[in-house]
Amino acid sequence: MATVTGKLKHLPAPDPLGPNPDPWADFREIEVLGLEWTQHYKHSLGKYSRFFLELENRRFFATRCPKCQKVWTPPRPVCPDDLTITGWVELSGRGQVVSFSVLHYAPAMLSFLKTPYVLAYVKMEGADTLFAHLLQNFGDLSQIRHGMPVRVVYNNGPVDHPIMLMAFEPADS
Amino acid sequence: MASREVVVVGGGITKFAAERVDASVRDLVTEAVLLAVDDAGVDLQTVEHGLTSYESDHFNRQMTLGAILHDHIGMVPKPNVRVEGGGATGALALRTAFAYVKSGLCDSIIVYGGETNGRSVTSATAQQFFSLSSDADWEMMVGGTYTAYYAAMMREHMRLYGTTERQFAHVAVKNRRNAQFNPVAQKPMDLTVDDVLNSIPIAEPYKLLDCSLLSDGAAAVILATEDWAARHSTRWNERPAITFAATGCGTDTMRLGDRPFPYPGLAHFRGKREAARQAYKMAGIKNPRTEIDVAELYDSYSGVELQACEELGFCEYGKAGSLAEDGVFDLGGDLPVNTSGGLLGRGAPVGATGIAQAIEIMLQLRGQADPRRQVANARRGLTDTHAGTGTHCVVNIFERRD
Ligand SMILES: [Zn+2]
Repeated sequence: MATVTGKLKHLPAPDPLGPNPDPWADFREIEVLGLEWTQHYKHSLGKYSRFFLELENRRFFATRCPKCQKVWTPPRPVCPDDLTITGWVELSGRGQVVSFSVLHYAPAMLSFLKTPYVLAYVKMEGADTLFAHLLQNFGDLSQIRHGMPVRVVYNNGPVDHPIMLMAFEPADS
Repeated sequence: MASREVVVVGGGITKFAAERVDASVRDLVTEAVLLAVDDAGVDLQTVEHGLTSYESDHFNRQMTLGAILHDHIGMVPKPNVRVEGGGATGALALRTAFAYVKSGLCDSIIVYGGETNGRSVTSATAQQFFSLSSDADWEMMVGGTYTAYYAAMMREHMRLYGTTERQFAHVAVKNRRNAQFNPVAQKPMDLTVDDVLNSIPIAEPYKLLDCSLLSDGAAAVILATEDWAARHSTRWNERPAITFAATGCGTDTMRLGDRPFPYPGLAHFRGKREAARQAYKMAGIKNPRTEIDVAELYDSYSGVELQACEELGFCEYGKAGSLAEDGVFDLGGDLPVNTSGGLLGRGAPVGATGIAQAIEIMLQLRGQADPRRQVANARRGLTDTHAGTGTHCVVNIFERRD
């Protein structure tokens, strides 16, 4: 007898639209496999890198466009409004929640997150765009609201991705 | 260009299901193509061009699936092109095929697409794959999923306009009810608004029954010039001609947070508005609410259908919720939306979704939908399809001409 590793099932499949006549009657014997695949990526953070390196120093950076003065966070090396090369600028790390969602399920790569967790869109002090990150230590879910003051908090890792060296927490207004 | 109208010769769609255990993605697409060829009444050997519509290489552990599919349906050595536009893939594929025929590059083209989003991986992994289609460095790693992004958008819509969970629950009820009259639909259900409100929370304010489906399935459509259809389709005179009248496409920033305030801000789909503006101009539509008879909108989440109604100009901002409660978008209403069941009820194998929407409009305009979901005297129909949080939006318009 043959041995197939990863064989999940071998079954007769019905015509999903039934009833017969089934044009595929000769092809209703089905084998289903389980396949495994993991891989390693060498992933450059490119011109975003300083943002992530400064998180290790517990500092929050954005980029400012020298032409239109718009402050982008997450940073952009080029301002898309006028295709001008930007420069780094440090922000206070304080901001206000604009909108948020309360998640009861985490995707596969983030299965370490305790649910419910909160993803917040935050208008950072001094920035013109919104920064999305986890809102931690939120206490009572019903207290989270539009306009709620928050601040960036840092941790020492270890983390899978340097973006996780920071998160948001409620702050005094 | 009026002399070179693009017509829909025919279309085919497989049964959509959470797990089509009887078929690989190539089997599903082949099945849809055989149905399309039969519906169109053409010999596939006479069709000049292929177009492969699928989003992800991840679900099937197979790159360049287009080469396999084109080969599988006997189209080699004729030309082929693969189109990808995230959730909008199928609609973008049709828009691309429209341009190929309109330009004279070919007189006939078959657009085929499918996906196995339902069974290939676990739901958590599927969410992970779809999260990779947001900004993987800046949004995904901080806990972002599409449900989370859409939920934040809807929360902002609720804050700005007073839209309620009960209002978007109506959409979830309507679309799954419509699915009961569509034999290929994945999730026909007879629900109440309270069933939706009481379903488990996924990403508040969205509950389980507000969320669309992960599906296995495929769909195919043959487009051509009218002259080609008259010469090659044995069924061309059996039914009213359906023309592909207009198409529009709009985009927005990848990250929600980069969008300007107050418009689009977090609550609006600017790319949809732009796509609709172009399509309405091409079709000569001034008042979409009265000039469109039936629409298939991209209800990835129930609230998104309300947001889409507003961006497409069916009503003012903030008004779609109460119109939904009044039954305007129901079967028998003024402007029936998602008669097929939509993504919530029929299902959404990504590469097939936009094509399936077009097939529903084709059936409606021909008067061939199940009588329980047929819109009386439908003469013009619209499809609205988007990727991401509206990062890539396509609006296609079809008309019955007789
Ligand atoms: Zn600038």
